[in-house]
Amino acid sequence: MPLVTVTLFLPLAGALAVMALRRAPGAVAHGVAVCTSALTLAGALWMWSRGVADTGFTQIEEVQWMPAIGAAYRVGVDGISLPLVLLTAVLFLLTFVFSAGVRERPHTYVVLMLLLETASIGTFTALDAILFYVFFEVSLVSMYFMIAGWGHEDRQRAALMFFIYTLLGSLPLLLAILGLYLGADPHGFDMRAWIDQPPLAGGAAMLALVAMLFTFAVKTPVFPFHTWLPAAHVQAPAAGSVILAGVMLKFGTYGLVRFALQMTPAAFHEAGLVVLAFGVVSALYGAFAALAQNDLKRLVAYTSVNHMGYVVVAVAIAALTLDPALRAVALDGAVLQMVSHGLVTGALFFLVGMLQDRAHTRDMDRFGGLLAVVPLLGWAFVLSAFASLGLPGLAHFPAEFQIFLATLRVEPVAVVVILGIVVTAGLYLKAIRTVFLGEPGDAWRGMADLSLREKLTLAPLLALIVAVGVAPSWVLDVIHRTTATLGLG
Amino acid sequence: MITMARDLPLLWPEILVLLAGAGALACEMLRLPRTALAVATALLLAATALSLPLLSLDTTVFGGTFRVDALSVWAKLILLPATVLALLLARAELAGSDREGTVYALLCFTSFGALVLAGSGDTMFLVLGVLLSGLGAFALVAYPRDDAATEAAMKFFVFASVAGAVMVFGLSYWFGATGTTLLDDLATPGLPPAAIAIGLAGMIVGLGYKASLAPFHFWAPDAYEGAPVSVAAYLSVVPKIGALFALAQVARDLPPGSGWSGAVAAVAVLTMTWGYLAALVQDNLVRLLAYSSIAQAGYFLLGIVAVGASPLALLSLVLFGAAYAAMNLGAFAIIQRSGRTLESFAGLGRARPAVGVAMVLFLLSLTGIPPLAGFVGKLLLFGAAIDANHTWLAVIAIVNSVLSLAVYLRIVVALYRQPAGAPGVPAGGALVTLVWVAALAATLLIGLAAQPLLAPLV
Repeated sequence: MPLVTVTLFLPLAGALAVMALRRAPGAVAHGVAVCTSALTLAGALWMWSRGVADTGFTQIEEVQWMPAIGAAYRVGVDGISLPLVLLTAVLFLLTFVFSAGVRERPHTYVVLMLLLETASIGTFTALDAILFYVFFEVSLVSMYFMIAGWGHEDRQRAALMFFIYTLLGSLPLLLAILGLYLGADPHGFDMRAWIDQPPLAGGAAMLALVAMLFTFAVKTPVFPFHTWLPAAHVQAPAAGSVILAGVMLKFGTYGLVRFALQMTPAAFHEAGLVVLAFGVVSALYGAFAALAQNDLKRLVAYTSVNHMGYVVVAVAIAALTLDPALRAVALDGAVLQMVSHGLVTGALFFLVGMLQDRAHTRDMDRFGGLLAVVPLLGWAFVLSAFASLGLPGLAHFPAEFQIFLATLRVEPVAVVVILGIVVTAGLYLKAIRTVFLGEPGDAWRGMADLSLREKLTLAPLLALIVAVGVAPSWVLDVIHRTTATLGLG
Repeated sequence: MITMARDLPLLWPEILVLLAGAGALACEMLRLPRTALAVATALLLAATALSLPLLSLDTTVFGGTFRVDALSVWAKLILLPATVLALLLARAELAGSDREGTVYALLCFTSFGALVLAGSGDTMFLVLGVLLSGLGAFALVAYPRDDAATEAAMKFFVFASVAGAVMVFGLSYWFGATGTTLLDDLATPGLPPAAIAIGLAGMIVGLGYKASLAPFHFWAPDAYEGAPVSVAAYLSVVPKIGALFALAQVARDLPPGSGWSGAVAAVAVLTMTWGYLAALVQDNLVRLLAYSSIAQAGYFLLGIVAVGASPLALLSLVLFGAAYAAMNLGAFAIIQRSGRTLESFAGLGRARPAVGVAMVLFLLSLTGIPPLAGFVGKLLLFGAAIDANHTWLAVIAIVNSVLSLAVYLRIVVALYRQPAGAPGVPAGGALVTLVWVAALAATLLIGLAAQPLLAPLV
């Protein structure tokens, strides 16, 4: 059975089913979405159980598409993409559970989200550059309509900015892809061929790298290309924020590894210090910017800039070092950090969304003492916040530990980035104090604690955060099988 | 001529198109407009079918003056179905009006002119094509006979006359330099560069007006606005693609060192940027799409600068031609059914979800978002430009694609906005629906399954 393909297109099939059932009640649409995404998760778990190969890609499925220009439908996974596929499937299922309460045009909502799920899994599994680009862009379109249709007050402007900004970001990638295509002999869009034998060298490779770095820097996002992120997050519906931060930001860092690092390794090695500097600045900037926020959603959004900055640092370190063992440590950290960030930030955006549903505000100063009123929600937030600031035993710690370890060995100066941890610790403690500690305000006394649907959404995420934190090896082993043998060039 | 017996069978498609026009005219004289439509449609479809066997050919007729090559055959395969769709749109818009059948006849004759352009192997055919496709177009624009249409046709006519005269003047230099009117002879070494340059300038003016390339595009927004929507849809596709393919035919023979590709690239930059910047401030959707179609013509030029330098050039022109015809006709069809102003689109996406989704897909395809037709076309165009060492041009085209998103999203936003007044969504006629459904199918198919189009070209 073509398992990857089935898993990839299940959500799309679900979307078509919902379209066909557009006269049915909204609950049916939500039911179809939950079932399809549960099946998708089952498919992803099955893929996980099949495992990855020691070198290169595995579970490859290939069909001719446009042989005239060397484009084919090619999908497959390795240790870098498989954890992200699993993360995507988990987050989408939980998102559908969480948003089963959406009453506003539920059919369209569900169709867009399912389309987005296919696009996301496709981005991680595509082994053909055109296919990758197709999924990459389709995800933008669905997210645009999500923000524009179900966002908050200023959604039209935010959606427009998001779409235009990220399209501007992604088009240079298209140029780089064309450059690699023309450089490859014979011409073709097979990403495996490009990885085995980087098609470009010298100045052309550097140009392609710069184009790719621009694309992925916008997507990740890296300071100073991050300005679309807070606006989009603040206006997006909670489920949209979860997917945007939990899944779509990973397109940027995944692309950084898959395209920039693997397809133009020599140029990346040369430019490594510059990328490293961007990563360090980005991580620190994200932390300090988050410190200055009063809007909870903006706060979490800026910590994403911080956490993704660590990933950029790790990838740059992997490019700079010539020692395969150190490179593996850095990349292990990078990929695990992507997974952890998806889980932790996903949980945090869910929680902020739940708070907003109750209080219709995200302004921290207006809250207070909520731990006494809504203890479950409060403790879930505390746990997620501690995970986000990198507490040992929770998901971010093993990832960030490896990143800092590799950084210290390769470019000790860059370890200054560790300051970010201190700042995030400070800002989360401040947020917990203002929102959850102290005397509860009168306005919030009647606030309801987590409903069953919300518990079902959060429990798996919190469990996974602990599972990755306490025993990261079940993920790391998969990642390490690929990173240990990642030959560059 | 001993070659007549060989040449005529190669020209069956063109002959049928002429017959379609003449037949439609004859039916109109008998006051049988519906028969005129049926005759024209049937003959155009027959001409399309007869073009298919010619796909593998690369030859010329009439002593090298007219080419039966991939570009000219693909022009038939793209423009004839596009003309059929335009006929259906015209029927939906103009049924029952006085002299209805003449519209069908004029559409066929104008398409004939576009086909002549796309197969030109000789400067005289270029002139003939520009005139043929022009004369019919003026009359089509003036068809409603109200003030707006008359003014539009007048502007169009004056502009066309001047551009045509400049073109003929320029081409006379080529004739002076080579001693023949054949385009092939331009490749002869040792021709005076100044004469080649002046001829090229004249030709860019003439074909540039026809394809509405900046700065020779001023007639287009006015003419489209004054004309019936179906005529605007037609003019934005058929004569334009004909002229652009003619430019590609000329580019094949221009000597590589003469700097023509730089000149065309400069026009491309100007056209794309001007078109989208002007489109950004339009509230009349016909004008908006007019400027958008100007900008899209600039994208075609990315393929033309690569002619002779990259094997992707021909591929990209054909594929983008087909994609552009489908998505632009589709977008115009929806404007025809829903109204010409941005305001008339308010809430349309909610009231008529299928129409809304179709319009969104046409607009995303025009932007170049995958996996739609426009994306594959632009991908190949960018590839051709990069392959021909015009990476900078591809970069500018990409920046313009972002600008284009801002243009097209204004319509998307309107589609899903609450209408200000009472929602007065007109029900579209069956013919218009047929047209946008066909255009949508083509937009999706060319995007997802371009291989059948690409295979014969490689």
